[in-house]
Amino acid sequence: MTRTRPQCGLSLFLALSLTWPGALLAASAASAGDQHLITLKASAMPSGQLAYEMVSHKVKSSTGKESDLTERYASGPTIPGPTLVMKEGDAAEVTLQHGIDDAQLPVSIHVHGVHYKIDSDGTMKLLNGVADEAAFPGRPYTYKWTAAPGTAGTWAYHDHAFGNPMLGAEDKGLFGTLIINPASGKVPALIDGKVVDVDLADIKREFILWMHETTFWGQELNHIIEGGKEIPLWTNPTVGARLGEKVRFHVIGIGTAFHTFHLHAHRWIEAGTVGGAVDTVNVGPISRTSFVVKAGEGVGPGDWHYHCHVIQHMQSGMMGDFKVVE
Amino acid sequence: MNYTSFLALALVAFPLTNAANAVERSKSEDVIISRPGVLPSAVLEMTDEPGKWFKDPKSGGSLVVIKPGQAVLIKMTDTNTDHTITSLLWQPGAANFPVDQERPSNASVTQTFDKPGLYVFTCKVHPYMLGAVVVDDPTTEGLDIGAEIQLVTGAKVPTTSDIAKKLLRTFFIGTTPALWRDYRTPNWEVKLPDLPINLAGSVLKLSALNFSEPNALLQPQIPGVGEVWVDTQFEGVSGKTKHGTATQIDASNWTIKQKVKGVEQNMNNPHNMWTDATYKYIYQTEWFDKRLTTFDRASGKVYNTQVVGQNPSHAMSNPLNGMLYVALNGEDRVLKLSPGEFPTALGNINTGPHTGPHGHHITDDGKYMITPNALASSVTIVDLASEQATEIPTGGVIPIAAWSDMDHKAYVANLLGTPPKMLSSLTVIDIDGKKKIKDIDLAENYDPISGEHKGEAYGLGPIQTPVSPDGKYVVSANFLSTTITILDTKTDKVVKSLPCEPGCHGVNFGLKKGGGYYAYVASKFANDLLVVDMDKLDIAGRILLVDPKDGQITGNYGMGGQGVLPLPLADAGMLAPTLKLVGTGKLSPEVEGWLTLVTQQQRGN
Repeated sequence: MTRTRPQCGLSLFLALSLTWPGALLAASAASAGDQHLITLKASAMPSGQLAYEMVSHKVKSSTGKESDLTERYASGPTIPGPTLVMKEGDAAEVTLQHGIDDAQLPVSIHVHGVHYKIDSDGTMKLLNGVADEAAFPGRPYTYKWTAAPGTAGTWAYHDHAFGNPMLGAEDKGLFGTLIINPASGKVPALIDGKVVDVDLADIKREFILWMHETTFWGQELNHIIEGGKEIPLWTNPTVGARLGEKVRFHVIGIGTAFHTFHLHAHRWIEAGTVGGAVDTVNVGPISRTSFVVKAGEGVGPGDWHYHCHVIQHMQSGMMGDFKVVE
Repeated sequence: MNYTSFLALALVAFPLTNAANAVERSKSEDVIISRPGVLPSAVLEMTDEPGKWFKDPKSGGSLVVIKPGQAVLIKMTDTNTDHTITSLLWQPGAANFPVDQERPSNASVTQTFDKPGLYVFTCKVHPYMLGAVVVDDPTTEGLDIGAEIQLVTGAKVPTTSDIAKKLLRTFFIGTTPALWRDYRTPNWEVKLPDLPINLAGSVLKLSALNFSEPNALLQPQIPGVGEVWVDTQFEGVSGKTKHGTATQIDASNWTIKQKVKGVEQNMNNPHNMWTDATYKYIYQTEWFDKRLTTFDRASGKVYNTQVVGQNPSHAMSNPLNGMLYVALNGEDRVLKLSPGEFPTALGNINTGPHTGPHGHHITDDGKYMITPNALASSVTIVDLASEQATEIPTGGVIPIAAWSDMDHKAYVANLLGTPPKMLSSLTVIDIDGKKKIKDIDLAENYDPISGEHKGEAYGLGPIQTPVSPDGKYVVSANFLSTTITILDTKTDKVVKSLPCEPGCHGVNFGLKKGGGYYAYVASKFANDLLVVDMDKLDIAGRILLVDPKDGQITGNYGMGGQGVLPLPLADAGMLAPTLKLVGTGKLSPEVEGWLTLVTQQQRGN
């Protein structure tokens, strides 16, 4: 099994090419979905926080069509890290490079939601009993994930090794989002008072909001720009949409605090419930809510506030706006 | 158009209003309506690690430099307890200042700084946790400190003033363990880098704050009675990740008997101790944690560690019934526990909303408890029989420690003075009358601008402030002036100022052999225990808190002196329950031996 590979350039390209058949073979047992070849790097931000950045994301579809999605991502490390979007039936090989200057400590990716073998757990041997499944300086590590049926949802990935072999350094910024879209291409949503299936192709904007201690760290996935764009929005941002657009929110907790995510003047259904509208959802560490709303439905345009409804967190500025314009 | 330039256009386009840009703006608005929030340019992580309480993950230091308009994320990492993020000093007129979290929590702050100059943050629960941000205008020479600093006490002082220099020096010493005063070396050398700093146009070097002093230990000529426990809260210990030990000193010969480390329990920042009437148990608070540890006084064996609440600071017993009272500095209550090997929580005494009681005191007749409320400008008087509590506003900033005399007059140290007039103060409280009597200016003879101090009243930043067992004096440990002030309780005037050590902190009285008392003073950023002879009102000794035989200590040797517990207890009312046990077999032969040395005068007769 190819677990490590050279860092970049022509040799990387060759290595990637060589691993295609392996990736196909690994995934073919599960389904005939797309094959994702992703290379991420763990790096330090200018502030000293740690974060993941996208190096390369290529996809080979079941029909054999190859595409390069790398341009979709922001350049440089971001908090949250790159949002990886797959669909049920897809498989991925995710290679992590160690790019944290002046640090010899291993760094990893532990993923939630999808299927993987124990050598892709992203933990240290101390925990998994198998191997140190982490990248070291000059020694990347490759994880294999399968988005098997039933894994649709919004999931976290995060470090489980750096600085502390039991915990890792997710608290310092090493976390990101994995979205597995359902094979059906549709998600249920409360639109105009009814629960309907919304076609994912009709969702033009997605907002990722991580609730870390008393701060939201945001990102937009914009599907209007050709090929899609991932836009870092940093802390407590304004997320914006046009009136009547269907937008999807992904709200995820991390750290130690428990939150209640509230968005003013909008309601949605929690996945798995029918007709049970909510406008506030409990979000604990690595638990999440993902939902579709029609921007400004029944209430019109405005700077609709979103915030954590824990009073102390509100007092610390854990809030932003959902800007709905005509 | 590549992504970066597209985003830049989208972001830049918003503020533009001229017609030429209108088309571009509407196009970009069509696509991206979201607007990014602040991206922090630097981080300060709050930790339990001594000297690294606000830690820059890049440098490991406690100071970050940013440019005007940039932001710093201050967050809590590697800490087992709650804190506040609070401005200690800032630039006058800076937007969105001061920062102050009202209650301790684990909440983070992302703060944008507009005005060049120095900003210092602290925690109101642990006010020596210090972190600094320098907002440096890159077009000026040297690091911008600013012309003036606004202090949390309300005073605004020039950065060239003596008090500003004292704060800077205290900041650099406190956050740099290599600059702590190590009595194993011949000299205390404070050497700061030749970094140019800009004080409103005049450029100096940081090294102008440098100084050197000889280190000389001193053996007190007259022995003490019994032993002295000192929380050496910052010592590193092999086998545990958290810091701190309790050091036991034999007062008959001034040697170290042992250091209690709590390795298995990972004892975290041991801060203050008390004992039971038999002197068998030591109750140890873990101030940067939620726990109380009980260990055997003679052997050091840890009996148990239990969670009692956020930031347990001080522990003290009621001499009438032995009940143990633990102040919860991060909460609004004092926990009452039964004494013994396994103290059991029996109830809570609420000290009032947002109070954060720190160094409480129980009157020596066991009738009242007074709590200095560090997070409120108040004290609370508790009738221990009825547990009725009365909160009294005092106007002091961070009331941190209290001590009452036999006549129920209490002295309360206000760490940062009483605005608007007093930079440094003690508040006097009439416990029976449940009222404030007055404030005493501890730094009456100090000029904060020139630094001149003509006269004895030169105490800045009082911490522990006990009344001597004979009621004659109040001894205060002052961290900012690094002095010990001795106040005559008849006149409430400071009659003596003595030199202390950096981080001067804990004071308590012990029995001097043959009669009289010693005041023992512990300092955070030095590894000696000062001994003050209360008959001479002078320094009688400097005892090294390092045990060279102890191979388990791995760093900050003997450092972090805070809580001091001399045994036998020196206050006659506190000593009485133990004296009653003489000959009953409940006291160890060692304790019986100490008690034979207690004079009639020391018994309060």
